[in-house]
Amino acid sequence: MLSYIVKRLLSIAVTFIVVSIIVFLMMHAIPGGPFDGNDMPVSEAVRAKLMASLGLDQPLWTQYVNYMLGVLRFDFGVPFQSPGETVMSLLANAWPPSLVLGGLGVLIGAPLGILLGMAAALRRNTWVDYLVSAVATLGLTIPVFVISMLLILIFAVWLNWLPASGWGDPRKWILPIAAYAAIPLATYARYTRSAMLDTLNRPFVTALRAKGLSESRIIFQHVLRNSALPMVTVFLPMFIGTATGSIFVEAMFRVPGLGSYFVSSIENRDYPLEMALILMVTVMFCLAYLVSDVAYALLNPRIRVSGEGR
Amino acid sequence: MSSDALPETLAAPSAREHGPLWFAVQRFLENRAAVASGIFLVLLILAAIFAPLFTKPDPNAQDYLTKALAFPSAEFWFGVDDIGRDFFARIIYGARVSLSIGFLAALFSVLIGIPLGALAGYFGGWVDWLIMRIIELFSVVPPLLAAMLLGALTRGGFFTIILISALFGWVQVCLLVRAQVRAFREKEFVRAAQALGASPAYIIRRHLIPNSLSPIIVGFVLAIPLAMMLEASLSFLGIGVPPPTPSWGQMINTGLDFMFFYWHMAVFPTAALALTVLATTLFGDGLRDALDPTLKGR
Repeated sequence: MLSYIVKRLLSIAVTFIVVSIIVFLMMHAIPGGPFDGNDMPVSEAVRAKLMASLGLDQPLWTQYVNYMLGVLRFDFGVPFQSPGETVMSLLANAWPPSLVLGGLGVLIGAPLGILLGMAAALRRNTWVDYLVSAVATLGLTIPVFVISMLLILIFAVWLNWLPASGWGDPRKWILPIAAYAAIPLATYARYTRSAMLDTLNRPFVTALRAKGLSESRIIFQHVLRNSALPMVTVFLPMFIGTATGSIFVEAMFRVPGLGSYFVSSIENRDYPLEMALILMVTVMFCLAYLVSDVAYALLNPRIRVSGEGR
Repeated sequence: MSSDALPETLAAPSAREHGPLWFAVQRFLENRAAVASGIFLVLLILAAIFAPLFTKPDPNAQDYLTKALAFPSAEFWFGVDDIGRDFFARIIYGARVSLSIGFLAALFSVLIGIPLGALAGYFGGWVDWLIMRIIELFSVVPPLLAAMLLGALTRGGFFTIILISALFGWVQVCLLVRAQVRAFREKEFVRAAQALGASPAYIIRRHLIPNSLSPIIVGFVLAIPLAMMLEASLSFLGIGVPPPTPSWGQMINTGLDFMFFYWHMAVFPTAALALTVLATTLFGDGLRDALDPTLKGR
């Protein structure tokens, strides 16, 4: 297991380097440098000096190596939109809202999704099942910003129960958390339902029923435990969905989190900030893959990572 | 031995009454959500094609500036937008943008995905290894974020969006084709063709791709909503299809600023996008279950 994890970490490092090279090259493939615009006309000599002081006159690979050496020290450079700060200090202020809202969204959405999925599987082909399936399909197909828009329109504009946007007052948290919860809820509801149905159809459940075990013991002790495995596989799509959805949730609800910085970095063509966010997200996703694969192997004695006996 | 020499009783049993296609159609028709989605999509496509026949002449003309932000009425079915354009015309023309981007992006995805999937599946070895590593790279980079970066770098545009969607859409098609080709590579008829000296290109074209047709169709249809969502998301962020071209994502972004007083600015584009993406996905799911029940459940 340990050697497997080490191998995976190495491959993550390779992926990271490849992604960083591609992104770096893409940004430098754009014609024009930061001082070519007409906003701040500077003389040729001043421009050359500025470029030299920022290291922009060096060959591309030197610039890349310097940048990556900085990244290893968590130094992502200076964002264009607020040159007084570093990218890291900007991001350090940005993550708490994202973490609070996203975390609460997942903590509420995932268990609720599991409960709904169970209810749907146990009441198969009744209105409960149809309702849960409809909710899950809506949550998985409709883009997050459309869900957010519908939430705002219903609860803020039409019913006027909740504030539509902002940050601070906990009442303002409710709608964004609901929008965040949509993807975990839908993902878990759908997968729990199909996993439970799979397990309920297995012969051992019939055997347990024949043995005279009470239905609740069958469900909670046997079916649920045997259905738990697919829920680990769901973790990854849910994580990715929630993380990318955060960009839109925060843009819609005007929450000053990581996602809204991403949007503003795109609007302002703030490449250092964008590059930092992309690299960090790539690492996050790679680690999420690793966690879900390892958890899967640990939880399921029937699956063993190749190269480990058996 | 010619067939007319055979006595009547020895004639081959009459062909099965129903071919596999008939069963697929039956399975599809049983799926009410998919059928309803199909009907909705046909209506939407017709509306998009024949838009000039029943909407105000030009969706980009600011003909109604004095009535800007007017609410829906008999004259303006969906109201008038903030700079005096008929909103119904803009929504319908927005369907043109969304649908054409969806179809073209799916087409390009299939055009990239089929050859790569066939190569990886047929040859295996280092070809397969290389293609799978490329796919792995695409799977760790979240498509939406990468698309946003590409959109920002290229400053959006109709064809750029199509290319970006195809860049991330081919992976699914490639995997489906690869799996199907691998399954058929060892079949007797392929072995026979090889023994007869057929070239790999011929076998892939003549035997393996036709046998992968249903996953290809499914991959094509399911790539459409993804591309439409990508377009809407990028346009929502202002790096997709540039104005004044009507795009639902753009309209939702504008609607966000007006929704408290002029609800129609937000409701119609949101509903149009949600319904279209939902219908395309349900239609694709129905098609998948109908064409190949073994692909069901993801």
